[in-house]
Amino acid sequence: MPSPKNNPKGRILVQTVPTLIPFTEVESGVFQVAMILSNKNHRVTMTAQGAIPEKKKRPGRKAIGIRLERKKDASLLNWNLKRPYPPEKIHIPIPVAAEPCVRVGDIVQTGQKIAEPKGPGGVSLHASMPGVVERIENFPDAVGRKSLMIEIRKHGEPKPIPAAEARKGWTEIPAEELLRIFQYSGLVTTDPRMEPVHVKLGRHAGARTIIINGCEPEPYITGEQVLTLSHPVEILKGAELLKKALGAVPTPINFRGSEMGAVPATVDPQKIKIGAEKIIFALENSNLEMMELIKSKIYFLKWEHAEVRSVPALYPQGLESTLLQAWFPGEEEKAVVFPASTAFAAYEAVALGKSFYEKVVTVGGECVVEPRSLWLPIGISFHDAIQACKGVMREPQKILMGGPMAGTVQATSEVPVMVGTTAILALPKEVVKDAIAEPCIRCNLCVDHCPVSLSPAMITLAADQKEFATAEEWGVSECIECGNCAYVCPSKRPMLELIRLARSRGEAAVGHG
Amino acid sequence: MAEATLSYKRVLPPHIHSTASLAKRNWGQLIALAPLFVTACLTGHAEILRVLLICLVSAVAFEFLAGKLFHKKESLRNGEAVLAAALFSLLMPSRCPSEVVILGVFSAVFAAKELFGGTGNYLLHPLLLARVFLQLCFPKVMSEPMLLAGDGNIWVLAAIGLGGIIFLKQKQGYWKTPILFMATCFICEALLGGQAMPLTFFSAVLFTAFFLLADPVTLPLTRRGTMLFVLCAALLSSRLSSEGFSIQGVGYAILLMNLLTPWLEVWLKPTPYKTKNQFKATYLS
Ligand code: SF4
Ligand code: SF4
Repeated sequence: MPSPKNNPKGRILVQTVPTLIPFTEVESGVFQVAMILSNKNHRVTMTAQGAIPEKKKRPGRKAIGIRLERKKDASLLNWNLKRPYPPEKIHIPIPVAAEPCVRVGDIVQTGQKIAEPKGPGGVSLHASMPGVVERIENFPDAVGRKSLMIEIRKHGEPKPIPAAEARKGWTEIPAEELLRIFQYSGLVTTDPRMEPVHVKLGRHAGARTIIINGCEPEPYITGEQVLTLSHPVEILKGAELLKKALGAVPTPINFRGSEMGAVPATVDPQKIKIGAEKIIFALENSNLEMMELIKSKIYFLKWEHAEVRSVPALYPQGLESTLLQAWFPGEEEKAVVFPASTAFAAYEAVALGKSFYEKVVTVGGECVVEPRSLWLPIGISFHDAIQACKGVMREPQKILMGGPMAGTVQATSEVPVMVGTTAILALPKEVVKDAIAEPCIRCNLCVDHCPVSLSPAMITLAADQKEFATAEEWGVSECIECGNCAYVCPSKRPMLELIRLARSRGEAAVGHG
Repeated sequence: MAEATLSYKRVLPPHIHSTASLAKRNWGQLIALAPLFVTACLTGHAEILRVLLICLVSAVAFEFLAGKLFHKKESLRNGEAVLAAALFSLLMPSRCPSEVVILGVFSAVFAAKELFGGTGNYLLHPLLLARVFLQLCFPKVMSEPMLLAGDGNIWVLAAIGLGGIIFLKQKQGYWKTPILFMATCFICEALLGGQAMPLTFFSAVLFTAFFLLADPVTLPLTRRGTMLFVLCAALLSSRLSSEGFSIQGVGYAILLMNLLTPWLEVWLKPTPYKTKNQFKATYLS
């Protein structure tokens, strides 16, 4: 295949490809961009003056996944990010490693610190709405437990938040200082794992690559996409900050009895100081505008160390673990993944000095009147969030936190939005209908669709027979609980229930034995 | 006792499911079989309908009985009994006496399937097992001409081919399985020669590839295992009976391979991602 360099006209390379998107004018016609989707290796080829050289074919595994109905268009119709009117009350969950520093009756402002970090692994917590601290008690949360939360009641009329001012010299801040800023801005990764950013950076010290994840393999969810389209440069700058912060030698953190963040013995502290070398922006290949946009931004920022890579729009391709598997097989420790929204929050924390108290969440599902992605203050209840999107048209069958493939069902809509909430979905019974489980007919579909190459049928058959040792032997502990096997199963077997059962029993057996 | 109360609540993800179901699979296969029955009637083999009718009635009756005995009713609800009856009627000689057919259906549906644990749990292909059983008990009756072997004609072959295309279109199974089976049989045949009735041979091969191997229950639970299974089955069935490929030979070959299935499964189990990479990191770098 000719490369753009020896292509005299500087025109677009055309492969024999299934889809060819017509040329588009980006950035006042400077660029002519062709998106070429090849079957095997989805790549973007772009030529212009000083064309970006064609990348070598990466060795990679064949992407395993299922093509879901994406259903994203509904929430993309309203794609300007708005903020809802402050609700009556919010309940802000307090992270484990934080200590409340306000008392009942205190009046707090937006962004004011309401909890102090406990130890080096903790993060501070900030009020997401002005008001009065009403109670500090246990309330039900969205993962089915009760946890300590600060209830803030609206007090007086909300004042408009003053426009943030740029911190002076923020590009020069050294890595250790960046970690401290992240910690005291309350920065937590915006995926369901909710790990403090400085802890995660410390845990991955020595990694050479930062992957900024703009993929959302789950249906309905568009938060990252909308945020990336509206703030591409901020996200890239945030990625640069995260990359720099990776150069800090981490302090060991004693977290639940185990040392975290300590420098692994194999990594030379001197090498850590270099920080990461590369930024990869991971996008789904269905998001062509987004790829064009980020590519052109990177090009004009003249960042040699940044690149856009696409993943096939398959579930679960684009989750943190599958990204690492696809691009760094066998050497996952060489890269660290952050969601694009975390990079944005990092930018705001460092450049604008804004603490982390709100995030972009998709409120969607067929039952919502106006599905959209919007800024939600952490702690707003699901009910108020849905009301901010004009409420529901009809009674939903299930309210989910997260997507339909991996989300959790909510018993009530009075639970608060957490940092890890990516979406609030109200789904009708046509979509989430229950099925009767039938016996396994050994059709092999689940084996074909498991992204970590397990044999889900064997594992669940063993769990069904209470043979938890066998399940362990067949690798149940490696399951990433993506739900693919349960999705494809024609018998509608309760795969994840069985897998979790096998896991808990298997661990118990190992623990006792 | 905690062990006794294993109940699954459907609150765990995923909350959406594919539209595939057992009923869809079974009825899909029945649709793929339909052209064969229609052609049989049109080309003067209408007596197959008598066998079909007996099979249907007795299969449904035995499934009903089994459902009552073992307290389950899946097999009736998802069309499994009907599919078994239709397939079994094709495995029987067209002029077979009714009581032999009923005995066959009993041994297939009740003995070989439900007594082994019903849907998804049997080790040996129930229809072929019943067929082999009848063969041993009534050798004379069972060597009468059947639709697929003996008086096969070009139209029957075309109907099976059409059924195969319908089957592949439904994407129920793995398309490589029937193709591999057919290719191996044809190659064996070309190398070894000696097929007196090429039409019969073709229809038997096609029928086995598309309909007898379509039941995944007795196949290994890995793709590689399935491929090996099919390859061995094809080689065996080409060589097992003296007159070359025949439905009887297929019966023995598949049943023999069925016995090896659990072993194939463990031997060719998929390598988990992590294990594979650990291996690579340790030995290949
Ligand atoms: S076994 Fe686990 S990792 Fe594999 S498909 Fe099922 S849920 Fe996903
Ligand atoms: S997909 Fe379901 S029926 Fe098929 S092998 Fe897996 S568990 Fe069994």
